[in-house]
Amino acid sequence: MVRSITIIAVFFCLLWLVGLGWAVGDYYAGKPEKVVHEADVSTEAENKQGLTIVALGDSLTRGTGDETGKGYVGVLVDEIKEKSKKSVQLTNLGINGQRSDQLKKQIQQKEVGRQLQKADVVLVTIGGNDLFRSGEGLMDFQTEDIAAIEKKYLSNLKFIFEQIRKNNKQANVFFVGLYNPFIELDQGKEMSKVIRHWNYDSAEVSAEFPKIVFVPTFDLFELKVNDYLYSDKFHPNTKGYRLIAERVASLLTW
Amino acid sequence: MNKLVQNEMLKLIAKKRLVVIALIIGVLVILFTYAQYKQVQTQREKLGTSDWRTILQQQIVDTTNRLSSSRISDEWKKQLQISLQQQQYYLDHDINPAEPGAPTFMRIFLENSIDLFIPLMVMVIASDLVSSEHSLGTVKLLLTRPVNRWKVLLSKYITLCLAISLIIAITGFLSYAISGVVFGYKGFGAPILTGFHVTDEGLNTSDVKLLSLWKFLLMDLGLVWFVAIVVGTLSFMLSVLIRSTAAGMGVMLAALISGAILSNMVSSWESAKYFFMVNLRLTDYMKGNAPPIEGMNLSFSMSVLLVWWAAALLVSFMVFTKKDVY
Repeated sequence: MVRSITIIAVFFCLLWLVGLGWAVGDYYAGKPEKVVHEADVSTEAENKQGLTIVALGDSLTRGTGDETGKGYVGVLVDEIKEKSKKSVQLTNLGINGQRSDQLKKQIQQKEVGRQLQKADVVLVTIGGNDLFRSGEGLMDFQTEDIAAIEKKYLSNLKFIFEQIRKNNKQANVFFVGLYNPFIELDQGKEMSKVIRHWNYDSAEVSAEFPKIVFVPTFDLFELKVNDYLYSDKFHPNTKGYRLIAERVASLLTW
Repeated sequence: MNKLVQNEMLKLIAKKRLVVIALIIGVLVILFTYAQYKQVQTQREKLGTSDWRTILQQQIVDTTNRLSSSRISDEWKKQLQISLQQQQYYLDHDINPAEPGAPTFMRIFLENSIDLFIPLMVMVIASDLVSSEHSLGTVKLLLTRPVNRWKVLLSKYITLCLAISLIIAITGFLSYAISGVVFGYKGFGAPILTGFHVTDEGLNTSDVKLLSLWKFLLMDLGLVWFVAIVVGTLSFMLSVLIRSTAAGMGVMLAALISGAILSNMVSSWESAKYFFMVNLRLTDYMKGNAPPIEGMNLSFSMSVLLVWWAAALLVSFMVFTKKDVY
């Protein structure tokens, strides 16, 4: 009994020594191997049930400012679940502070493309950070810079839509437009003009693609904007997100 | 010598310590298996899918959002960035970083128990190997035999090493056998990436290589064994130095726990890297996690541990051969 346990212990002792030696040897002398992509097993059709929603974009998609943490995407998903009694699979890829050039990069990732292929509905918010540049936009919104920025933004937007359509020809895409959080400030009127123009051009780009719907939010926040803004006076609060979600929900068909 | 070791093994088995340790490990593995199972379930409910790619993509986006927060410290930011790059690498190469199954559970269990749990189990045996002979008075019987004192101590030390090997084996076996009931026993061939190197600029992925999980597990087990031996030797030394088992255990416990706390906050205190207790997480190097203090790597941590080990062994033998026993 004691003898056999001792022998087993000696065996394991040697085995772990081998493991240790291997670990150290491999850590330092192991040759880097080229990691090969495995064949595209990833495109296999999943047994899908219910609705698949992919949300792309910036802090609005994330839900920054919503105390419940849902954002318009979360509220919308809850509403769909309740009304359609279907299960909903949500992939929220929104990143705080994301600008259109960053989304352009993100959307080219392989996995993001795969998510888009599965989607029934794609929700997009982008452009707010291009235009407002975390407050800087307040100062120089009149200068010619804005025209250059907008031009770049529109070409990025076009690219993003092309990517979405390339991956998925069927899904309904809802592109949520900008509102003016600064409407009650001194230069709110001029700011509104820039944003209306921006939204108009965004809607034009959306219209070039099939099944891409531009969802205006400007009017929602036009009166009593401060009731719907979070304490940072920029992002919507819970009520504000609810407004956006209701507007998108009214466009959804299932 | 052989007889002496046999004799020590007999004492060890008669004390039934190993059975107690196996029971403790078993209970903990059951707990963790259940916790893991629950976690997977809630995640599935929340995301509405069990597709690992979707979950990983979501994790990447969540980490990116945490990075954009201005309230996190620079070190934490760096760690997040490193794990972000790693996750992205896994995703880009279509490899699941946590292939479901008992082998993966075993890997995670080993990685998380290397710096506290396994050392604790080792302490249960090591800390009273010598001091209990004092407190029971049996040390006199042992030393009146016509055997050199250092031989007596060496036989005890060899027994300790054998017991540690057994503990590691028990841990591996139980974590595999128990978690397999829930997660399935397959997955030893699953690929895992290793060879990420953390540099000043971030994560270096040029040396990354693919390993089968069983190889990776054997390496992990080897590293865990090494850590256990070092910690065991240190408690062994304390057991020689201090007559009271409880006091020896207390000192060792304090050191281990302070190590767990220290590695979370020492990044600015550089010389802390020479403490043995912040160097215990060897498996992190295999995985490519950021070390607690900049400039630490596998060979550094192993040398530090080796120095502590050698010193502890030397002190034990010197003291034991010279000590007055009354």
